[in-house]
Amino acid sequence: MRIVFAAIVMLTLLVPITALGVGAQSATVKIGVPVPLSGGNAKMGDDIAKAARMAAEEMNAKGGVLKRKIEIVAFDDACDAQQAVTAAHKLIDAGVVAVAGGYCSGAAIPASAVYHDAGVAFVADASSNPKLTDQGFGNVFRVIGRDDQQGPYAAAFMMKKLMAKRIAIIHDNTVYAKGLADATKAALDGKPGVQVVFFDAVTPGEKDFSAVLTKVKSLNPDVTYYTGYYPEGGLIAKQFKELGVSGKFMAGDANNDPTFVSEAGTTSEGVFITSTPLPQDQSTAKAFVDRYKKRWNQDPGPYSALEYDAVGVVVDAIKRAKGTDRAAIVKAIMATKGYKGATGAISFDKKGDRTSVLYITYIIKGGKFVPYGAF
Amino acid sequence: MEIALQQMVNGLTVGAFYALIALGYTMVYGIIRLINFAHGDIYAVGAFFGLSVYGLLAFLHIENPVLTTLLALVVSMGCTGLLGVLLYRVAYRPLLHARLSILISAIGVSLTLEYGLFLIYSPSFLVYPHLFGRAGPSLGSIQISWLQAVIFVSSIVLMTALYLLVHRTKIGMAMRALAINQDAARLMGIDVNRVIGLTFFLGSTLAAFAGVLTGLYYSQISFLMGFLVGLKAFTAAVLGGIGNIPGAVLGGFLLGILEGLAAGYFSSRWKDVVAFGILIIILVVRPRGLLGERVVERM
Amino acid sequence: MKVPTGHSYSPYWVALTVAVVLVAIGLPFFGDAYLIDVGTLVLIYVMLGLGLNVVVGYAGLLDLGYAAFFAIGAYVTALLMVRYHLGFWVTLPVAAFTTALSGVIIGTPTLRMRSDYLAIVTLGFGEIVRIAATNLTFTGGPEGVYGIPHPTIGSLVLRSPRAMYFLGMAFALLVLAGSYNLARSRLGRAWLAIREDEAAAQAAGIYPVYFKLMAYVLGAVFAGAAGSFFAVKLTAINPSSFTFIQSVTILMVIILGGMGSLPGVILGAAVIVILPEALRAFDQVRMLAFGIGLIVLMLLRPQGLWPSRIGQIERRAVATSEASAAAGVSSDTPSTTG
Repeated sequence: MRIVFAAIVMLTLLVPITALGVGAQSATVKIGVPVPLSGGNAKMGDDIAKAARMAAEEMNAKGGVLKRKIEIVAFDDACDAQQAVTAAHKLIDAGVVAVAGGYCSGAAIPASAVYHDAGVAFVADASSNPKLTDQGFGNVFRVIGRDDQQGPYAAAFMMKKLMAKRIAIIHDNTVYAKGLADATKAALDGKPGVQVVFFDAVTPGEKDFSAVLTKVKSLNPDVTYYTGYYPEGGLIAKQFKELGVSGKFMAGDANNDPTFVSEAGTTSEGVFITSTPLPQDQSTAKAFVDRYKKRWNQDPGPYSALEYDAVGVVVDAIKRAKGTDRAAIVKAIMATKGYKGATGAISFDKKGDRTSVLYITYIIKGGKFVPYGAF
Repeated sequence: MEIALQQMVNGLTVGAFYALIALGYTMVYGIIRLINFAHGDIYAVGAFFGLSVYGLLAFLHIENPVLTTLLALVVSMGCTGLLGVLLYRVAYRPLLHARLSILISAIGVSLTLEYGLFLIYSPSFLVYPHLFGRAGPSLGSIQISWLQAVIFVSSIVLMTALYLLVHRTKIGMAMRALAINQDAARLMGIDVNRVIGLTFFLGSTLAAFAGVLTGLYYSQISFLMGFLVGLKAFTAAVLGGIGNIPGAVLGGFLLGILEGLAAGYFSSRWKDVVAFGILIIILVVRPRGLLGERVVERM
Repeated sequence: MKVPTGHSYSPYWVALTVAVVLVAIGLPFFGDAYLIDVGTLVLIYVMLGLGLNVVVGYAGLLDLGYAAFFAIGAYVTALLMVRYHLGFWVTLPVAAFTTALSGVIIGTPTLRMRSDYLAIVTLGFGEIVRIAATNLTFTGGPEGVYGIPHPTIGSLVLRSPRAMYFLGMAFALLVLAGSYNLARSRLGRAWLAIREDEAAAQAAGIYPVYFKLMAYVLGAVFAGAAGSFFAVKLTAINPSSFTFIQSVTILMVIILGGMGSLPGVILGAAVIVILPEALRAFDQVRMLAFGIGLIVLMLLRPQGLWPSRIGQIERRAVATSEASAAAGVSSDTPSTTG
């Protein structure tokens, strides 16, 4: 029995050592995809990983890159800072030439430091917190917009289109949601006649928001803007209507998912969502959505198209760099001009942010996201 | 004033859920001194089993909302109850006297249940059929839905039934005897294992009941839904006096109301701090909990 | 009733110790960055485990909010280094002092409670610290503190994984030495007395509350030290690293490894960190496998992987409950063994 125990323990100590026998000299071109594969965000991570795999498969069918096959190496970061750092080290040691992925900004930011130290390019598909690129690491890029772009857009929409004077903002104290909420509030503060009557956070994972919404109700807002994610977003929208809170309900781009509608049911009618244009509304993206559905037998997630483009950007950079040298790839990504992705044309500015990000507002009508108009 | 009353109604609804789950914690703790980390996940399992029943009935074209709901409740409670007993037999019984090891086993069970649901049902969340809306009587501008009333009333009924079971029946007497002194109970001819198993069964059925109602009321269930609620329910059980059945009920409702008031009048993002703060103050002042504890002395 | 004999010095365990030491020393030279990073993480959990071991293992207090002290140490170092540009070594005594003070503040009103109420109260404090860190702008809110500079020794900047590993090893060895000496000190003996029989200890003139507080505060300081190291290792910290789950993980380290035993804590830390990493290959099933693994491990070896004397008590207790379970099954015959 003791031998068994000793053996088990030795094994747990030694397995990782042997399991990592992957050297950098392999025949495939490896691209790292760190995403949450466990925990509450697992579905999002899975959608992102699937998009990356599909991108690689399509490109491999056309011969791959530099006459080698592309391999997607996906590791779980569990949306946790420490695990993201460990995953980053693991990806680097596995010999990835660049990294395209990430979901939680709170995990992406510490991990970006690791990628920076190793000189590996990190193209974020879903982390919209401004600080990711504000850090000034030259190797960090993102294909999604920044929260401090979406915030002012949402504020302008509320003030000018919805004529709102009293605005309530609810977030969930995650890096993303708070960042968007802060940016929105900053754009509303000081504007004449406009008042942010409520600014507070709910706890993600909870279901009952009636206490908060009752308080918001008592403040008679014209618009209530929820900047968190869709699991809570759908619930809040539903309870918002059920409690009879005045005014309109609006939500940020992490709610641009059909499950928001199925959750909120009929109460989702008339809800506004600020977002970058959804794949179905971009001619370039529609084809992507169809191919994704065919390949995986399910709808793509909100960030699948972005990840697809992130991988595409990386492969395009590899082609232009004519090699897999990590530093050369970073330079090539920086020089990306007008790469035609599923989400539109992609170029990066000096900080690594995507230039010319467009936000529009959707309204939910008949259970579908209908563009309300750009602004 | 009306806002305050509305918050009370909200709080009582949330509190009913906490109370139902707290009962399971308090009963199990009372007789075997285990903080059953997995109990919140039993609540989640109950919710998912209920959803399966709905799905099955829909497949069989049985549509009547009241009938399907009753079936979902009964089947889910039964199955989850049996699961509770099974978990006791497999993961806890061999470790009854190893106080800390049994805790780890409970954590293992919790993870197993969570990720079992993750793999079998969904990694994100599932939506319950929208059977009952929020229609209901309004007293002034206070909204109370029929569903809320049902939740509140049925919770009270179940808890009263449990109390009667424990205090007026022979098997209940066996449970109480076990809670006082396990060895003496055994000497009196009480089948300890059966009684403990029954305790797990009852606690799990109540949690399952809460789970299905959660699905109906909030519409959304996810594999991690038990974690946060479990934590709160355990807090409620301690607040009322661990091992004490009326205490768990009181603690549950009190916590629900406290949270609602804290979110409504103070600040939503600080409400858990307020709730825990009050809990700590109460325990410092009344170290045995609000209604006093009923715990086995030495195992 | 047979009690299994102890085996602390059997050749298998000696071989295991040698293997572990070899791996620990050889890792920074032969391992790649990922393995060294994993190794450093093990060292962090060793420190945390040793600290909690003082609280739970030596003094018998069930603490479910230990991550709070880890957080306080990390934030103190992070904030002082980023906002006030202080050097790492300067922040250490400040972190130690702050965590000790928190230990006193949290411990004084609560250590009188029964140990199981203490569990929920410490849990509450853990959550309060985490939520405060999330809500206050001063601590950086949910984003936390990032851009933490690397520690320097003279002109040498410690930034590579290997340097971090050595630094972590130094910290861990200090904490290990401290724990070892504590166990054998008068404090340690007082804790043993309280743990075995509090009433008797009191009768012998030991004030339980004072000694429990000492254990709690010392444990807090160890966690604070681990936190400071954690901050400079990650260079960015945020509240999600200090959740209740983190507290539970640290508790798992010492229970899995064997309560009260120093080699047990080290082994427990290794398993807790390495097992999920080794299971990465299982992808979706990883956490499920981990959960089942925990149950199986506890059923097979409830006293932990490398238990101390305390473990003997656990083992005897398990044998007892198994016997009584067997007796309980035959329901109609009143049993006089138990």
